[in-house]
Amino acid sequence: MYLELKSLKKKFDGKDVVCDLSLSLEKGKLLCILGSSGCGKTTTLNMIGGFLEPDSGSIRLDGMDITKLPPERRPVSTVFQSYGLFPHMTLLENVIYGLKFRGYRKAEARKKGMEYLDLVGLADRANAMVHEISGGQQQRVALARALIVEPKLCLLDEPFCNLDAALRVKMRQELKKLQRELDMTMVFVTHDQEEALHLADQIAIMEQGVLVQDDSPMNLYRNPANTFVRDFLSLDQLVWMEDGTLMKVVKDGRGQL
Amino acid sequence: MNRTNKGASKDALFRFLGEGTDKLIIAVLLGSICLFVLYPILRIFSQSVLVDGWLSFDAYADVWQGYRTSLWNSLFSSVLTAFFCTFLSVAVALVMTSSRGWVRGLMMGVILITMVSPPFVSSLAYIQLYGRRGWITHRLLGISWDPYNCWGVIWMQSISFVPMNALFLSGILTKMDTASIHAARDLGAGTRAILMDVVLPLIKPGILVTVLLTFVRALADFGTPTIIGGRFNTLASDIYIQLIGYSNPTKAAAMNVILLVPTLIAFLAYRVMLEKSDKLTAGRGGQGTVDLKLHRCGAVGILAMVFSMLFFVMMLLQYGSIFASGFMKVTRGVYSFSLDYVRQLIKYDSATIVRSVVYALIVSFVGTFFAMLFAYYTGRRNVPGRRFFDFLVMMPYMIPGTCFGIGYILAFNKAPMKLTGTALIVMACMLFKQLPTTTKLCSAALTQVPRTLELSARDLGGGRMAVLRDVILPGMRTAFFTCFTHNFSSSMTTAGAIIFLINPGKKLLVFNLFDKVYLGEYPMASLIATLIIVIVLTVEGLVWLFSRRKGKRYVS
Repeated sequence: MYLELKSLKKKFDGKDVVCDLSLSLEKGKLLCILGSSGCGKTTTLNMIGGFLEPDSGSIRLDGMDITKLPPERRPVSTVFQSYGLFPHMTLLENVIYGLKFRGYRKAEARKKGMEYLDLVGLADRANAMVHEISGGQQQRVALARALIVEPKLCLLDEPFCNLDAALRVKMRQELKKLQRELDMTMVFVTHDQEEALHLADQIAIMEQGVLVQDDSPMNLYRNPANTFVRDFLSLDQLVWMEDGTLMKVVKDGRGQL
Repeated sequence: MNRTNKGASKDALFRFLGEGTDKLIIAVLLGSICLFVLYPILRIFSQSVLVDGWLSFDAYADVWQGYRTSLWNSLFSSVLTAFFCTFLSVAVALVMTSSRGWVRGLMMGVILITMVSPPFVSSLAYIQLYGRRGWITHRLLGISWDPYNCWGVIWMQSISFVPMNALFLSGILTKMDTASIHAARDLGAGTRAILMDVVLPLIKPGILVTVLLTFVRALADFGTPTIIGGRFNTLASDIYIQLIGYSNPTKAAAMNVILLVPTLIAFLAYRVMLEKSDKLTAGRGGQGTVDLKLHRCGAVGILAMVFSMLFFVMMLLQYGSIFASGFMKVTRGVYSFSLDYVRQLIKYDSATIVRSVVYALIVSFVGTFFAMLFAYYTGRRNVPGRRFFDFLVMMPYMIPGTCFGIGYILAFNKAPMKLTGTALIVMACMLFKQLPTTTKLCSAALTQVPRTLELSARDLGGGRMAVLRDVILPGMRTAFFTCFTHNFSSSMTTAGAIIFLINPGKKLLVFNLFDKVYLGEYPMASLIATLIIVIVLTVEGLVWLFSRRKGKRYVS
């Protein structure tokens, strides 16, 4: 497997936050870690990103053990919940920051930076400052900045939670498209069931630090492991249409997601 | 029916009284600000240009003729102090925020003690350690040199302004969005790159703010040049001499106005920078530490560590010498433990000690309530001329303490407002000098009390006074304790503003301290400094305990 988490454990103040978590993911796929707040999903992501060291267990990426590597040496990049954009740099400077440590010359880096800004539709704002653009645009810059270093794995920590509902739907379509185009392997953390069902190739549901079920959305829909999974995904209200789209049953019996 | 009617009319009466009190509070607040801030400042200007009722710029011509060197000295030493001090402050702030455990604890302890120290302690320690008969220069190294020059002034000013600046900068550092640092690491930046590309650029406006504030403080500082400047006079020290030595208020006023020019320019720049800084660091940080391994940050990191070590060693030496020398006696060059000075202090100065504490307590209580009310009325209510009063209240923060003090003398030396020599003028001066900081603290606290709370209280039938009593004041509880301690420590330690106002019959500890340093009675001065530190720390400790105890009761 491309990404393999083996028996990851993490305690904070003697409390198990993640217990014995094992997960694996194929190359080019998008995994959603889904759960309510405090379930250990962000902790898991931080361990993959290298910001937290697991108490035990291992993380392998593309055949290499990265458990002990510091974040700056991992072939992993992250889109943070609050984006973590550098407020004193322009969009272009933000995007090409990571290239600085990968031996790029300035001109080369700028050229590649423009390509990636173009990819997220912000090439014309290259010289704007971060506070001059909207939340959705900041989100795109953060994504471009994470992707430009061509990581083996891209992590996203509830990236859409600061956006309004309509924008969220639009952004997740864009993300899916980008992920397919670049054949990028991604791990996405969210507490939003709809988001997970729409985006993921594989969903891992966590509850109080324990992995409850890990499967494709369709299999989750067909065979939820227990009532918790069924209730959490509100499967009773969902209908999977034959063309693969998901329908939400609202009170009057119709409606689409 | 009848009963409800009666109740209603009683309610109406209360409401009427409440509205009346409300108006009265506004009038008292605004009136006293006009009287104790605006009027003294205007008096300085008018004094400097009016001679016997006629407009005249002679005083300015005099000052320009006679004190150009002092002006030049002021600018020169303040600029250098600003740069040295900022350099040190950045180093200390970086080391403080990136360290943990007992190292951090020790540093915070040292900073805390310096924050509650009276002014002049650096100068006092400087003379004791590095002076003609200094413990280090003379006793240890056996050299005899003249330490009274401009470099001593610059060096001592730089060191004594570091703690405040370091606290300010570490506040910015810890407010920084931690995601920015994580993102940089994630993209491959090592510690060095994080420091140079992210941390320093983000605190750059904060660094400039530090430069400007230090410049202003150095300009206003009269104590250091007076004590260790020797023949190096600055405008601030000349003002002191002009007023105490020659009793020439017109000249002193003109000098103050001249000193105000660079001060106000620096403050304008400061406002712009502060806004910029807030924009850059409007993050979610707040973890108290910055995840940065300074020893791996290359030359800059090492430099920061070396300089902050130097600073802390000097601080330890400084306070060590102050604490020790008050309890020592020298007989034929041999030091021995002695309580002679303590006995002397108790015998001659116990009234002064009590008076200082009483003044400080009164100022703390009145000042804190004043600040809370002012913050509420200007922040939440439509007070006429709100912006103007906001600006006025900030004035004492900008203008040098001595300048403010002279304003008070000029404003209140004639009937019907003859207040000079009274306790009232001293306390008023302390209160209004500290008001900018305390109102800032209260305004910040007020933003934590949602407006909807206030509206609900009114919606449920509470009058204006009920809102104030039941919603606003309880909501600012923490701010009350912070303001109280700030007021208390400032009242015990500030000298500049009140040094001219103190009646020789009713001295305060700070004044005695300055006197003793000036007269060369260093052990006594050290003992007074120690006593001030102990008193302030004790009161702060008590306030802290009190705030905790009450807090528990609220929770349970």
